[in-house]
Amino acid sequence: MAAPTATATLNASTYSSGDQMTLTVTYGDADTRPLTVTIVVTDAQGNSSAPVRVAAVIDPLTVTVTDDSGRSWARLSDNGAVAVYRAVA
Amino acid sequence: MPRVTVTVRDSGGRTATATADYSIAAPVLGGYYLSGGADPTADIAGGNIRSLTQYRSLADGYVFPGYQKQWLTTLGRSGVQVNMVLELKHYGAPNAGPQTFAVDGTSYTVPAPAMTIQQRPGTTWPKAYGYGQVLAGQCDGLLARALSQYRALGFPVNIQLASELDTDHEFGTSEAGRAYTWAESDARAVQAMTYIVNWFRARSLPAGTTFSVGVGGFDRACFQRTHPESLMSRLDHLQWNVYATAANHTALDRFRRTRDWAVADLGPVALSRPVIIAEWGVRVAEIPNQAAWIATVPAAIAKLNAERGPRIVRTNYFNSGWGTLSPKAPGLAALKSAYATRPYV
Repeated sequence: MAAPTATATLNASTYSSGDQMTLTVTYGDADTRPLTVTIVVTDAQGNSSAPVRVAAVIDPLTVTVTDDSGRSWARLSDNGAVAVYRAVA
Repeated sequence: MPRVTVTVRDSGGRTATATADYSIAAPVLGGYYLSGGADPTADIAGGNIRSLTQYRSLADGYVFPGYQKQWLTTLGRSGVQVNMVLELKHYGAPNAGPQTFAVDGTSYTVPAPAMTIQQRPGTTWPKAYGYGQVLAGQCDGLLARALSQYRALGFPVNIQLASELDTDHEFGTSEAGRAYTWAESDARAVQAMTYIVNWFRARSLPAGTTFSVGVGGFDRACFQRTHPESLMSRLDHLQWNVYATAANHTALDRFRRTRDWAVADLGPVALSRPVIIAEWGVRVAEIPNQAAWIATVPAAIAKLNAERGPRIVRTNYFNSGWGTLSPKAPGLAALKSAYATRPYV
């Protein structure tokens, strides 16, 4: 199993009080794989249900953001590779 | 400095962390100057006005706090940040000749100022101590006198060397019978400013003392010439002045102009330095509603400070000359209202 990777980038290094701050997190893991599981139920007489498709992820990742000044960061978006967070300075 | 930490964890408990540091800047200091170097205490009362510009000639025997300016000591000790403009320019009689005086028991003799500046045709050209005189050490007594008084002041200031080098040099200068072009004058000034700041820094200074050189900021080439990295490494602030003098001038455009030249033309040391706007003003002849224009300044400063580049940290309204508030009461009220608005709070 591979270890995950992460980078964190702020849209500025200095903010004025009240500014909107944007944090972009880029992350990944070589093991993480999206896949689709397709299920068909078949009875003893050989009757089959329609296939049902389910999306799943092998070795999913969780992202947590903390701030040692106590500022809270809200997740705006996350596509599985890039997550964007916002806070107020 | 606050730090944000990102942790990415997989299902097996393996993690990766990444960090990003940032800082929250202190509010911009709203500031003021009252015509004639007069006591601004009454004007600034009740407003969030925490910064002042003052002007002194090094020829004057009373530089800190200035002749009959005990109010400056009072304001400074109460926490108002003072941008003290020290000029080689001679403000006129008396003492236009050589001076002999004692500083802390040492006697100094300083020759008469040998340079002319602000050589606008049809005007009387002011005298100033020459850059050559400074580099020859002939003005060390003036520096020693100012330093001795500064040490007794009781609070640190930003020492801004010269008011506006571009205004001083725009029509050339002359010293000891020799004429210098604008560009030559800039180069000589950089040498002299370097000499002066090095002279001060080689001596014990009140903790928190900072330095800058003064420019109006209206000429891009001059601004670049007067801000070489070698000098900026000795200075703590960038500085320029901002005036609205046409009906279509916006606050954002006027505060942005010199800043954009700086970002395009100056080196990383210069751009790491915060900016003092030593003077800003709205000329009533073209912009009768000064109060309305003043009200647009906070948003302009906030926008500029959110952009890449040096941060503006003090803006001192120049209630004199081009910036004269007329009528005064609504202008002053607008200024106080602006300074009660983000990013000034």
